[in-house]
Amino acid sequence: MDKNYAARRRRDLVIAAVLAALAALAPLFVKNVYIQNILVLTLMYAALSQSWNILSGYCGQISLGHALYFGIGAYTTELLFTKFGVLPWFGMLAGGMIAAVIAMGLGYPFFRLRGHYFVIATIVIAEIGLLLFQNWEWAGAAMGITIPVRGDSWLKFQFMRSKLPYFYFALALCCLAWFVTWWLEDSKWGFWWRAVKDNPEAAESLGVVVFNSKMGAAAVSAFLVAVGGAFYAQFLAYIDPESVMGFQFSLLMALPAVLGGIGTLWGPVLGAAILIPMTELTRSYIGGSGRGVDLIVYGALIVAISLALPQGLVSLFSRSKAKGATR
Amino acid sequence: MTALLETRGVWQRFGGLVANSDVSISVGRGEIVGLIGPNGAGKSTLFNLIAGVLPPTQGSIWFDGEDVTAMPAAERCQRGVGRTFQVVKSFETMTVIDNVIVGALVRNTVMRVARRKAHEVLEFTGLAARADVLASDLVPAEKRRLEVARALATEPKLLLLDEVLTGLTPTEAQTGVALVRKVRDAGITVLMVEHVMEIVMPLVDRAIVLDLGKVLVEGKPADVVRDPKVIKAYLGDRHAVGA
Repeated sequence: MDKNYAARRRRDLVIAAVLAALAALAPLFVKNVYIQNILVLTLMYAALSQSWNILSGYCGQISLGHALYFGIGAYTTELLFTKFGVLPWFGMLAGGMIAAVIAMGLGYPFFRLRGHYFVIATIVIAEIGLLLFQNWEWAGAAMGITIPVRGDSWLKFQFMRSKLPYFYFALALCCLAWFVTWWLEDSKWGFWWRAVKDNPEAAESLGVVVFNSKMGAAAVSAFLVAVGGAFYAQFLAYIDPESVMGFQFSLLMALPAVLGGIGTLWGPVLGAAILIPMTELTRSYIGGSGRGVDLIVYGALIVAISLALPQGLVSLFSRSKAKGATR
Repeated sequence: MTALLETRGVWQRFGGLVANSDVSISVGRGEIVGLIGPNGAGKSTLFNLIAGVLPPTQGSIWFDGEDVTAMPAAERCQRGVGRTFQVVKSFETMTVIDNVIVGALVRNTVMRVARRKAHEVLEFTGLAARADVLASDLVPAEKRRLEVARALATEPKLLLLDEVLTGLTPTEAQTGVALVRKVRDAGITVLMVEHVMEIVMPLVDRAIVLDLGKVLVEGKPADVVRDPKVIKAYLGDRHAVGA
């Protein structure tokens, strides 16, 4: 039994390495900048969704306010860069840490709320954050911040001529988020989180300090999302509150995980790989001119997947396996 | 030697309702003690006070020579209080072994060690064959046993069992009784709440009968079942005369 378990974990790691290697080769074949752009976004949302999944999937605390941490990552990096000349790499770490601290500060009152009330609180807090940034003159208010061009360099993490460096960073971030999840899944924390999600009262009786478990999940989740936000800011080279802290980011972090399989290792990656290209392609082929047909098709696909596979797309792979193992 | 568990003048009020009034009980090391009483006697409330789900309105609770009255449930578990739930609370989306690992992690933070410990506990409780099954796929009797297994994995000094034998078939109940004996033989003190007298009486060393929130009688099971006050509490005045 233990051997099976260890083997499964090793197999996951091998699959991830193979997929990452294949993804790394993709730019050799994909020269089209538009498609490259979609790949970057897909990888980024896979990373974000994987990070969201730590708090909301594993630990069961559904957040629809993660756009706040995304925006904090973006703003910290760009404010430090434009106002103080701090390199984006340091800004990225600072943003991650600030987001983690804020996540815990918010968790302190909000982790006492359960279920729907917690979800509502996360939405409201993210909206407040958005409003604050829209009115914060020093941070550019609603006008936002344009990131000054200093020439292509890894040091400044800025590239005008090619999307490829962004592609590789997004891939690395995606691998990091996946690996952190993989590692935590088989740790004290991973077990505590799942226990807290399934039954907090029973978890408490088994020595799990439920509150601290949630705080830990929130910190890791917010940190990684903020790093994603820092990346996105560099990628866009221009940020304003709506374009890095809008509610749609909270949704786009949650949806891939939910579609792919919430609280699973592969769900977010799988969900993002299908959802993000679908979003972009429906928009470019049937969208435009404000008719919203793309959104109708997009929404219909989400509903269809949810109805057919309520456990997420990963259940396509695990269903036969689980049957063989148990009965 | 001091008792492993002691409640000293414990009161619990829920608004105007007094669930426990001035309850003082003690459980010695290595004992199996039954906490019994008719419906609404305050057994579950007392049980929850001991497990640390809520603090008593008044009075104190001592475990292993330490005042634990204000200590939350998780910390009491770390000190050595394990419990099961009357309405089973399995981690439904996790496998049986993973359920037990959660308990084992209290004392062993290295995954490999916790996993080995969990396997030992599954062997001990007779659930080894079901290790990789989802908890939600277990039959009710197995879920009860998983509750016990999970609590045992925390390596408790005191195991609190909340109606683990109630509602089982006679065969299942006998297996359960054997398991409780095995637990005690492993050096763990047991305090069990039970509703059904005939199952617990042959098993326990001592019985404490609660009625209307108070300790009515306590003593050897054979004496307790013959006590007129107990018969009256369970069956009403008419039946008490014969005793």
